[in-house]
Parts: sequence; structure tokens; C-alpha cells
Amino acid sequence: MIEARRLHKRYGSHVVLNDLDFTIERGQRLALLGLNGAGKTTLLRCLMGVLSFDGNIAIDGVDVATAGKRVRSLIGYVPQRPPLFQMSLATMVEFFSTLRGLPSRAIADRLESLGLPLSVTGERALSELSGGMLQKALLAVALAADPPVLLLDEPTANLDPRARSEFIRALRQVGPETTIILASHRLDEVEMVADRIWILHGGGRVYDGTLEELRSRSGADSWLWVTTRKEQRDKVREAFIAQAGAASVIANGTHVAVRLPAAGRATALSQLQHAGISIEDFWVVGPALEEIVQAFFIGEDS
Amino acid sequence: MKRAAVVRGLIRRELGDSLRSRWFVAYSAIFLIGAFALTWFGLSGSEIYGYRGFAKVMAGLVHLALLFVPLMALFPATASIAGEREIGSLEYLVSQPISFSELFWGKWLGVSLAVWLSLLIGFGLAGAAAALSGTPWWLIALLLSLTLLLAEAFVAVGLLCSVLAGSRARATAAGLVVWIVAIGLGTLGIMGAMLRWGLPRSVLSAWAFANPVEAFRLAVIAILDPDGSLLGPVGSSWMATLGPAGVIALCFATLLIWTLVPTALAWLRFRRPQAWASL
Repeated sequence: MIEARRLHKRYGSHVVLNDLDFTIERGQRLALLGLNGAGKTTLLRCLMGVLSFDGNIAIDGVDVATAGKRVRSLIGYVPQRPPLFQMSLATMVEFFSTLRGLPSRAIADRLESLGLPLSVTGERALSELSGGMLQKALLAVALAADPPVLLLDEPTANLDPRARSEFIRALRQVGPETTIILASHRLDEVEMVADRIWILHGGGRVYDGTLEELRSRSGADSWLWVTTRKEQRDKVREAFIAQAGAASVIANGTHVAVRLPAAGRATALSQLQHAGISIEDFWVVGPALEEIVQAFFIGEDS
Repeated sequence: MKRAAVVRGLIRRELGDSLRSRWFVAYSAIFLIGAFALTWFGLSGSEIYGYRGFAKVMAGLVHLALLFVPLMALFPATASIAGEREIGSLEYLVSQPISFSELFWGKWLGVSLAVWLSLLIGFGLAGAAAALSGTPWWLIALLLSLTLLLAEAFVAVGLLCSVLAGSRARATAAGLVVWIVAIGLGTLGIMGAMLRWGLPRSVLSAWAFANPVEAFRLAVIAILDPDGSLLGPVGSSWMATLGPAGVIALCFATLLIWTLVPTALAWLRFRRPQAWASL
């Protein structure tokens, strides 16, 4: 369990975390959202005890400010940018086994379960590994000791889509007892990993709830795409324009899309049905996480 | 037990990184070849001059050491923290269950060992050749320990620059500025300034003992030429006042201070929790 009381962090006159109080129960999966500079990384660094702060944080009853080294033994950490140590993967496994006080087998086994067996990749220099492989190697180091807390700081920000989905799949191997705190800008990983969302802004926590609640509260629009027969395309377009305005409609071949809030989607489809338009297929492209967060802020401001 | 294993692991890695650095290897190779060549050719007349022949060799070795030992120490030391910060590996290291003191002292020991190892090989070969020619072992040991201390002083300066500077390039540049000031503003520079601006003679004396490079040079000359005939007016007067042992002890103290003070300052800065991240 992670408990923080009056957690306060400032850089000069700029307050990044302003007297935060929170409790994160064991096994909870929390995503930290917010604009750049909102304090996501700073919060993770405070939890690891590598930044000084005012107030108190305790992880499983261990005080972060006074027992940083012990706290870090309870935490696995994957940063956004993989560090490029000048060493091979096998040497890295040996080095971090020493630092974490583990048998090197523990990290090697994790690597194998993540699809990076040392027998195949061990002799390769870290600089020769792809970004996805490096992040998986860091995840293996983080998970080797089965720590109660896993901190992930935008771990897939620099990965291609395939490596990202592989990394998210690997994350799902994490046991249910592990608390995960994920700082992210990506909807897919937040959806797959987190059951609780915080939005940090202006030094405080301005939202605490689920992603679904956030989506509906933010009112961010999705795109409803419809595939129809070619001769009916213009009819669909006109119906959509009547509902949402021309600026919110796109037509492309036999596909037509309209930008609508979630509540308007069923109405749009039933209107097409009543107008005798045959719909061959339809799908929804949801707003990106940044759009949801932006819409949340706009909603809060208004 | 675990603490010792962690520090050993950090030392091994730092040692490996230093020994892989091209600059470090290049300077070490030049020093090794230069030291061996000077000793080999310099001692060719030792059957005539006895261990005085070694003094001739040492005069050459001193100049070689003055130029290369600080550089050999500065390059790995300035890279050790600033370089890691630049590639993001320092953040990852501090996130591990290790203390800031284990990390700092592991790095310090690793860099020091790399530099010492390289000097021991270079001086070891030269020393072995000198010992075979009849030079007393204590003399070789004294000169070697002075050289190791000079190296350690510049490891300390390099480490301080590395902790304070925002990037590896800035850390290296700052270290080189210290080296240039120490080398360039040698006794001749200060004497010129004395003549030009009429500075008191005590300035020159103070400079001789405040500058690690000058202290090293003075100590070596005091060891090899106890009557002080090779020293300038300031060195000779110090020799008359303190005697050779006193001058050597004062020079050792200077080098020790240059080792301890920057190391302590670097440690005090590094142990502040955010110093690793935002400089």
C-alpha cells in the first residue's frame, strides 16, 4: 500500500505537486494522465525517493524520505528512455542482479518469459537491441524480484505499434498483487493496464476515477464510420450533416464518418435505418487520450 | 555483504567503461610508450652516472607525467557522472535499490582504479627497468606514489566537474580549464606576472604549493636533487627553510588537499537527492 500525506514538491518557485494526500491499495492499477509538466514523472521520482520533497510517503509502511534504498527494493521501474549502458544484455543481467541482490537466473528467467532468451540475445550489445527489446529487458529487471510496486514512466512512448502491443502484452503477465502506477499519454496502454485514472494539473489531482467515467465526463467526441453502397453515400452524408454539421462529416469512397458524442451514435444509426439506408458495416474510432484530457479541461473550465 | 557486492559491481562497471574510453586508452598508451622509451634510453648511461642517471630519466618522466597524468585522470572522471546523466543511465541507476553513497564511491573507486592501473603498468615497466639499473626501490616507490596522488587529485577535480556540469562536454571543458591553468600558469607565468605587476615573492611561493602540478614538480625535484640546485630561487629558499623532507611533505599535503577537497565537494553535491537529475 502506498500512502502520501501533504506531498509537496517545487522546483524553485514552480510548485509541481501541491500538498497531495492519497492512498493506493495493493494490487491497484493506476494511470497518471496530464499535460506535459503536470508532475507525473516528478510524482514517480518522489515515490522512489530519488527527489527530495516535503510531506510524507510510505510504501508498505517504509518511509520513503528516510529509507530510500529499502523503498527502491520494493519497486520495479521502467523509464521512458531506455538507458544505453555500454554492455551486452548478459552483462546487464549480471550487473543488475548484483545491484538488486538477486541470482542472475531471476532476471534471465523473466527475459525468457518475455521472449528474450539470453541464449539467443545475451551476447548482443544493448546499443544493437531495438527499443522494444530494451524496454522488455528493463521490464524483466523490474519484475525479477516480484516487487510489490511497479512504476512505469511512459514506457512505450518511443516504441513502434508492434513493439508497443508486445510490451503491453508483457505487462499483462504481472501478478494481481502488484500495484502498477503508469504515467502515459496512450489510450491503448491505459485501457489495457489501468483500473483507476488520475489527472494531474496545476500541482493537484483534478480527476480520480475510471476511464469510462472520464470519457463520459469529458464529453470528447468519437468518429462513427459507416460503410454503405456507393449510390447511398450522399444520402448518408446529408443525414450526418443534418445531425452534426458539415464540419463534422468526412466522406471517403463508400465510407462516411461523423464526429459525435457517445450519446449521439445510436440516434445517428437509427436515423439512417429509418431513411431506408442499408448499412454494410460501422465502427467507432474513439478520441485519443490527449483529446479526452483536453476535453476534460475544457469542460471543467466552462 | 550486499553493500560490498553492490560497490564491487559498480567498480567493475566503471573500470570497464573507463578502459573502453578511446581518449583514456590513447593517453595511457602514449604515457606507457613514452615512460618506457625515456627509461630505456635514459638509463643507457647509468653505468657511468649511477642512480644520478635515473634523475635524468625522471626529469623527462616528470614532464611526461605533468602533461598526460592529469588528462588520463580527467577524461574518465568527467564522463563518469555527467556522461551517464546525458544518456539517461544515471536516472536508471539511482532508481535501483542502492544508496547514493554506494553509487558515488563505487564510481570514484572505479575511475581511480582504472587510472591507477594504467599508471602502474606505465610506471611499473619504467620502474622495473630503473630497478634493474640499480636505482633504489624506495625512490621508485616515492615517485610512483607522487604520480598516483597527482592522478587522484585530477580524478577528484574531474569528478567535481562531472557532478556540477550539465553535460559531459561542459564537464570535460571545465576539467581542461583547470589543467590548462595549472600547466600554463606554471612558475614561469607567475614570475612573468611578478615582474610585470610587481607582485610580492610570497605569491610565487603560495602558487607553488597551491597548484597541484607545481607541487608535483617541486616534490620530484626535491627527491632527485636534495641540494636544490635544479630549483629556482623560490624552491631553493623553501629547501633552505624546510629542508628536502619538509618540501616533499608540503607537496604531498598539497596533492592530498587537492584530492580530498574536490572529492568532498563532489560528494556533498551528489548526495543531495535531485543533484543526479537537474543541474
